[in-house]
Amino acid sequence: MIHKGFNMIPIWAPKVIEMGYIGDKDKEYLKEEFSKHLKENVKLLVFTGDNCQYCNVATAIAQEVAELHDAIEFHEYRVDSDEAKIYGVDKAPTVIVTDGDKYGGRIRYVGLPSGYEFSSLIEDIIDVSRRTAEVSEEVKAQLDMIDKPVRIQIFVTPTCPYCPRAVRTAHRFAILNENITGEMVEAIEFPEWANKWNVMSVPHIVINEDVQFIGAYPDEQYIKYVVDAWKKMK
Amino acid sequence: MDLGFVLPSASRESKDVDVAIIGAGPAGLSAGIYAVRAGLKAIIIDKGNAGGLAEEAPFVENYLGFEGIKGEDLAKRFKEHAMKYVEISERNEVKEIIRDNGIFVIKAEKGEYRAKAIIFATGTTHKKLNVPGENEFYGKGVSYCVTCDGYFFRGKKVAVIGGGNSGAIAAIYLKDIGVDPVVLEFMPKYMCEKAYVDIIKEKGIEYITNAMVTEIAGKDKVEKVIYKDRNTGETKEISVDGVFIYIGLIPISDLAKKLGVETDNRGYIKVSSKMRTNVPMVYAAGDVTGIAGQIIIAAGQGAMAALTAYEDLTFS
Repeated sequence: MIHKGFNMIPIWAPKVIEMGYIGDKDKEYLKEEFSKHLKENVKLLVFTGDNCQYCNVATAIAQEVAELHDAIEFHEYRVDSDEAKIYGVDKAPTVIVTDGDKYGGRIRYVGLPSGYEFSSLIEDIIDVSRRTAEVSEEVKAQLDMIDKPVRIQIFVTPTCPYCPRAVRTAHRFAILNENITGEMVEAIEFPEWANKWNVMSVPHIVINEDVQFIGAYPDEQYIKYVVDAWKKMK
Repeated sequence: MDLGFVLPSASRESKDVDVAIIGAGPAGLSAGIYAVRAGLKAIIIDKGNAGGLAEEAPFVENYLGFEGIKGEDLAKRFKEHAMKYVEISERNEVKEIIRDNGIFVIKAEKGEYRAKAIIFATGTTHKKLNVPGENEFYGKGVSYCVTCDGYFFRGKKVAVIGGGNSGAIAAIYLKDIGVDPVVLEFMPKYMCEKAYVDIIKEKGIEYITNAMVTEIAGKDKVEKVIYKDRNTGETKEISVDGVFIYIGLIPISDLAKKLGVETDNRGYIKVSSKMRTNVPMVYAAGDVTGIAGQIIIAAGQGAMAALTAYEDLTFS
């Protein structure tokens, strides 16, 4: 009796797909947040493919979020479409948050942005709509040095409370510097990819497939790894 | 379908408040509700997500009103309740607190906040074991968070070091997601609640007592854990792919110490029964006070701290 709860199905376990993933209470809250903070339009691009366990869910979540405010547009593309090529997407599901212009496909989620990462998605939508993000002057100065493409991949699990911080840092950097791409990767959905980098603790950050670190660090430490990776390119 | 959505509560502006609450775990969130209901202007600032360590608890079975609830769900309820009253600024690390003419100036990543009173609800973080291999294999098999990393070890054997409540819950959680855990406890007996002892036995989880872990070893990643049997003095080893360390917690009290707040020799903030510290207008609540490490007690202490702050701000 006591331990009944331990046998619960993990939250990301596949179940029958149905509409209405986001609860009514959560929707009300999000509507209010969006009406307070959204300024310019935001596109949510979802790339889907075949044999993709979570694609329907990714689509449904993005669609439901987009319905909460007029400034949010939803688009679905195939992972083998021309749009996927334009945005450099080759895995499904991928969710991109963009203005459709200068942010391109640089703020992205490979795998489902569920659990704790749902909050990252919402914060990204707000920042993209505001067309800015907050960092300290010191960090901004270092970000401004980055003049070559730097790709930050953040391996996460949806049940990791520390992971959104690492994801959001990369995405804020991407908003502030057009050479930076921040790519969340859901490690459980993409085990081979996670294995390639021996991911055993999350958040596990890989920059330019070269510099790696583990943990959710403050901006000042995070930017050092980014600058290191950038310097190695020279 | 429950995808465990967690909502953000981004606050951006710098502002003046009556009371600033550092830390958005159960103590801080409860303090926030009580402070605002009492009529104070308040903000809660947290370097990570609201919820605190409660988020990491795979399962909570001793919070009044909930026979059993996942830690992250309970934390979500706390947060949503608190958000109705008080602004919570997440992913906003406080860097420094200084005093300026009796006002506390809180310098954080996202802004600067001025407050007449401060409640430290900064909680605790995981204690390290301090044995060879622990740092070297961090992220290569050594972990401090089963909900974060447990899934990488499905079908594999891992050691859970520490057999107190947290370690016991971690082991049970691991077993349930398809990992094969063995618990290594330093003391000669079960150190967790009887409720957990029963589950551990029922699920056939090995629980080794009198085990002093001396090394985590391997080549590129964790391969074994080495311990001394304190009974026989023998050195033994177990082949494992992972090691989860749950040997206790250490308080996060550096910011408070810099303000002159007194702590005990382990760093826990000393408080009166009304949650006052030795520094006027500075209060502490929750795990950082070292009183119990229980969610329900942290919430109670948070409420008390806010009420005392209200009393002090209003009547002094």
